[in-house]
Amino acid sequence: MSTVYFLVQQTMFFSIPLLIVALGGMFSERGGVVNIALEGIMVFGAFAGIVMIDAVQSAGIAINGQLLLLLAILTAAATGVLVSLAHAYASIHMKADQVISGTAINMLAPAFAIFVGRVINTRGTQQVRFEDWFHLEKVPVLGSIPVLGDMLFTNAYITTYLGFFILIAAWALLYKTKFGLRLRACGDHPQAADSAGISVYKMRYAGVMLSGVLAGIGGLVFVIPTSREFNATVSGYGFLALAVLIFGQWKPLRILAAAFFFGLLKAVAAGSSGLPLLKDIALPSYFYKMMPFIMTLIVLAFTSRKSQAPRAAGIPYDKGVR
Amino acid sequence: MKKTNLLAILVAALFAACLLAGCASGGDDNPDSGSSGDAFELALITDIGTIDDKSFNQGSWEGLKKYADEFNKTHKYYQPAAKDNTAYLDAIDLAVKGGAKVIVTPGFLFEVPIYLAQDMYPDVKFILLDGSPNDGDWDNGPDFKTGANTVGVTYAEQEAGFLAGYAAVIDGYRNLGFMGGMAVPAVKKFGYGFIQGAEYAGAELGLGAGDIAIRYHYTGDFIATPEIETMSSAWYNDGVEVIFACGGAVGNSVMAAAEKAGMKVIGVDIDQSSESATVITSAMKELAVSVYDCLKDYYAGNFPGGKNITFTAANYGVGLPMSTSKFETFKQSDYDIVFAKLQDGAVDIWGDMRNGADVSVSDIPKSIVIVNEIA
Repeated sequence: MSTVYFLVQQTMFFSIPLLIVALGGMFSERGGVVNIALEGIMVFGAFAGIVMIDAVQSAGIAINGQLLLLLAILTAAATGVLVSLAHAYASIHMKADQVISGTAINMLAPAFAIFVGRVINTRGTQQVRFEDWFHLEKVPVLGSIPVLGDMLFTNAYITTYLGFFILIAAWALLYKTKFGLRLRACGDHPQAADSAGISVYKMRYAGVMLSGVLAGIGGLVFVIPTSREFNATVSGYGFLALAVLIFGQWKPLRILAAAFFFGLLKAVAAGSSGLPLLKDIALPSYFYKMMPFIMTLIVLAFTSRKSQAPRAAGIPYDKGVR
Repeated sequence: MKKTNLLAILVAALFAACLLAGCASGGDDNPDSGSSGDAFELALITDIGTIDDKSFNQGSWEGLKKYADEFNKTHKYYQPAAKDNTAYLDAIDLAVKGGAKVIVTPGFLFEVPIYLAQDMYPDVKFILLDGSPNDGDWDNGPDFKTGANTVGVTYAEQEAGFLAGYAAVIDGYRNLGFMGGMAVPAVKKFGYGFIQGAEYAGAELGLGAGDIAIRYHYTGDFIATPEIETMSSAWYNDGVEVIFACGGAVGNSVMAAAEKAGMKVIGVDIDQSSESATVITSAMKELAVSVYDCLKDYYAGNFPGGKNITFTAANYGVGLPMSTSKFETFKQSDYDIVFAKLQDGAVDIWGDMRNGADVSVSDIPKSIVIVNEIA
């Protein structure tokens, strides 16, 4: 049983950032703007968050670890919004090709993090180090719940709960609010939305900014549990989040399932040499590593006909075209 | 339209602010510039990492700086603009123009640049750490040439690994892990030595066949990834007590896992005890010692030019940092005994080559240790 708990705990470290970032991509695309800049925004968000943590820690300020993490999350979110505004401006106002401005951000992000990292770091290195003040050995009370406590409330980070909270909030926002309805309309048929008096530009800005918030947070959430320094990369998890978004067919609950499927296989691939049963089978880890992508291909092959991609995603809105 | 402009200005201002903020605080991180004048006698060119990489660059720089401070020599380090031979050569050129008499280059990536530079600047001395100069033509067998103005320094990594493995087993660890970076000769030698050290200690303690287990893996890179963290966590969760993290930033992920699991790590290259409380010891190459020694020889007028020197236990080129190590039962006296044995050559430790053939993990004689190689 402890193996199962361990696997669930480890899966969280992969799944939660994927979930958060893919939900961010969902808001952008449901509003009609393709956002392949998720990777770059993650890097920006993680960089800002970690720099902030490092600044506090190396200044010797005594602060509650969880509070510090929350502040870092806010920093990452704010940075994400700022970066996403550049993308929004280019793709909404300037009607630029959305793939190009997204690519530009992806290319800028690591270079920016390396350059600024070296300049502001007192040690002159691009790696920004931080100490782990955030790990929860066991959450009081909740950690004592049988099964669930072992899975979710021991060896965890508050980012896990934040991920689930974001999922619920995203679902409610998209399906249960006026805003969500309007956003979806702008992604599917912006002309119709416009004729109903909705400002397509505003809605799209909102969608992209939401994706900036979530991708920024996702970047930080990705780095915190798995390393002790940030080195200007999120190892392609932004692109993986795009795959999760498509695998999840732009729907929150399916994205949840997809994120956990990808995360579980990532965890199994990396951990197979330490897991009973799998250890004895001794399949090369490449096998598990391939699985998510093969499954994505298979699922897409069967569902692409009735794919739920927002119809107007990727097309700049032009009032003059009816 | 007005709104558009405002936004554009905002975005531009944001980036400008970031850049300016960067410049403002960047003044003092310039390389240490020694005492006076414009010429810098001693120069170091950094490898891919930075000067405080807690590894090669830092270790070498400490040796150079120690000598320079003691004997009041001007010194400076240079960071190549990119990770390729041209950029390395440009940096060397810069150092020579900056008045360098001796240039230290840490890392085997400098083998080819030094092969070329030693002929281009015959009046400058080069100290190449962890390699011997060659033309890099591995398809046809490279042309090795160490010029009269160059010394190539290599290390007996297997001895450092041996000491780490020995100490861990004497200290009571039985379930070990080896997390190597790229399977390059240096990393392999560390790993092979680690296995043999564990075996040797097991024999001394009279353990039975299969009493010591080592999981053995190369990550294929020198970077920290969540996958390495998960793999290490899984090992710890499955009973592994200590992992030898042997590959630069790979150690970061292993330490992250060890901190969560409450387990132990063995560091590599330099004393990594300050990086994490989980580091019980480090398999060190005494980079500072070798740089210091070579510089001393140079100023004494007997620079070992044209030679390739291997630093071993015999000349204190490898070792464990006993003062910062966190062992329970393995004592300084135990260390001194085994270290003396290595110095005498009383133990035959296999490296990555033996009798001209490549050695693989399965070739190494062992009975007490069971190695589980993980692809």
